[in-house]
Amino acid sequence: MEKKTDKKYAIEIQGLTKTYGKNRGVENISLCVEEGDIFGFLGPNGAGKSTTIRSMLGLLHFQKGEIKLLRMNSEKQQKEILAKVGYMPSEAMFYPSMKAKEVIRFAADARETDCREEAERICDLLEVNKEKKIEELSLGNRKKVSIICAMQHKPKLLILDEPTSGLDPLMQEAFFKLILEYNRQGTTCFLSSHVLSEVKRYCKNAAIIREGKIIRTDSVENLSKSNLRRIKIWQQGGEREFSYTGDMKELIHKLEGMEFEDVLIEEPSLDELFMHYYEQ
Amino acid sequence: MTLLKHEIKMNLKSLLIWAVCVGFSCFGCLLLYKGLQDTVKQMADMYSGLGAFSAALGFDKISLATPEGYYATEIALIFAIGGAMFSAMTGAVMLSKEEEGHTVEFLNTLPFGRGYIVFRKYLALVVLILLFNTICILWVFAGFAGMGEMPPAKEFFIYHVAQLLMQLEVGSICFLLSAVCRRKQIGAALGFSILLYMMDVMCRIVPDIEGMKYITPYYFTNAADIFVSGSMDGLMAGISCGIIIASAVLTVFIYKKRNL
Repeated sequence: MEKKTDKKYAIEIQGLTKTYGKNRGVENISLCVEEGDIFGFLGPNGAGKSTTIRSMLGLLHFQKGEIKLLRMNSEKQQKEILAKVGYMPSEAMFYPSMKAKEVIRFAADARETDCREEAERICDLLEVNKEKKIEELSLGNRKKVSIICAMQHKPKLLILDEPTSGLDPLMQEAFFKLILEYNRQGTTCFLSSHVLSEVKRYCKNAAIIREGKIIRTDSVENLSKSNLRRIKIWQQGGEREFSYTGDMKELIHKLEGMEFEDVLIEEPSLDELFMHYYEQ
Repeated sequence: MTLLKHEIKMNLKSLLIWAVCVGFSCFGCLLLYKGLQDTVKQMADMYSGLGAFSAALGFDKISLATPEGYYATEIALIFAIGGAMFSAMTGAVMLSKEEEGHTVEFLNTLPFGRGYIVFRKYLALVVLILLFNTICILWVFAGFAGMGEMPPAKEFFIYHVAQLLMQLEVGSICFLLSAVCRRKQIGAALGFSILLYMMDVMCRIVPDIEGMKYITPYYFTNAADIFVSGSMDGLMAGISCGIIIASAVLTVFIYKKRNL
C-alpha cells in the first residue's frame, strides 16, 4: 500500500533487505498497514513471509531498510514495541514441562500486566484445559495457548503467522470472532496465511510476496479483480483450456481467428488468481 | 524476577540431582574415614612415595591420614570435579536450550529485550551454582559432624570461595558456548570440565607444561595447596575473574548480534 502522510500506520516497512549469506531472504520490501486494518500477507512457502515477520519482531537483523511498528523503530525500541504487540508464531512451541496455565501466566508476568480476566475469557471461549502440561497437548491445543498468550494483554497490533493451521473449523470460527472483536476495539491485525478463503473473508487489504519481493499490494476486492481470464474452447469434439492476461479486445480478436464450436470465458476463482500471482 | 524465577524453576530438578549426588558422595566418604583410619594411614605412606604422582594429587603436601588431609585430597576431588561438571552443564544449556526446544521465538517476543534475557539467565546460573554449593557444604558439614571433627575454618572457607570462583569460570565459559550454539552442548561442556582437570594433573607432573596452571582453574583451587598455605594465588584468581567478566560481556555481545 502506497504511503500517504495523512494516514496513521501500524506497520511501516521501507526497503527491507535481508539475506542469509548468499541465500535470498527478502529484497527491498516496502509495505504499509493502516491502523485498524486486517491485513493479509500471502505467498508460497519460502517466499519470505516469515523472514519479514521475524525482522519486524527483532528476531532477525536485516541488512538494509527500516521497520516501524506502531510508529516506533523496530531496532531501537524493540522492548516498547513487544509490550504492545501480540505475536502468534506458525509453530506454537512452549516449555514442555510447564502447564498451560503456567505458560499463560509467564507471558502475562513478562508484560507486568494483570491479564487474568481476559485470559480466563479466551480460555473459556476456546475451551482450553489449562491444567494439562504442554507436552500432553495436541498441536491444535498448543495453538489455543498461543492465541491466549498473544491476545490476553489486549495488544495494539496482532501479528499472526498461519494462525489457523491445526485448529478445527469450529475453533477457527471462534478465533476469527476474537480477531474481529479486537479489530473493532482498534487492534490492527497482520495475518500471514496460506488459506485464501480466510484472507478473502476477513482481510480488507493484502500483499502478495513471491521470491522475496512484494509483487502486489492492494485491497482484497481489487486483488480479486483482474484481467486474468480462464478460457475454455470446444473444437472438433475436444476441449482446450488456457489462461489469458491482457487486453480483452485483443482476446476477442484472437478468438475471431480461431475455429471452435463453443467458448467459455470466465473470471478465475480467488485461488486461481493467487496461483497466477505465485507462478508469474 | 519473572525470568529469573522461571529459569531457577526449570533447572531445579537438575540442581537437586547433582547437589544430592555430589553432596551425598562427600558425606558418605567422610563417614568412611573413621572406619578406614588404619587403612588410610597405610595408603598415606604408600602415596607419599609415589613421586610425581603424589605431587599431582597433593599427597606430597598434606597427609591423607589427617581429617583435613583426607578432605583436601579425597573429598575435595569429588566436590571439585562434580561442581565443575554441574556448572559446565548448567551454563551450556542456558541459552541454547531455547533454540533447540524452539521456544526462542516465544521468549524473545515477550517484552524482555535480549540484554535482559542474557543478564537474567546468567543471574540464574550464578544462583544455581550458589545453591549447589550451599547444599553440598551442608552435606560436608553433616559428614564432619558424623566424624566428630570439624575442618580448619579459614582454610575451609578459602577453599570453598576458590571452588565457587572456579565453578563460575567454567559456567561462564560454557554460558558463552550456549550463546554461540543452536543445540545444547552438554557433552562438550562435561568434556571441557574434565579436560581442565586433566590439564591440572598434567602440569603438576610435567615441568615443561607448567604454564598451563594459568589456564586451568583447578590449579589455584587445589585443596591441598590451600589447606597447606592458608591462601589462594591472587594472580590466578584475578585471571579467573577476568575470564568470568570477559565471557559474560562476550555472551551479551554475541547474543544481541545473533539471528534467532
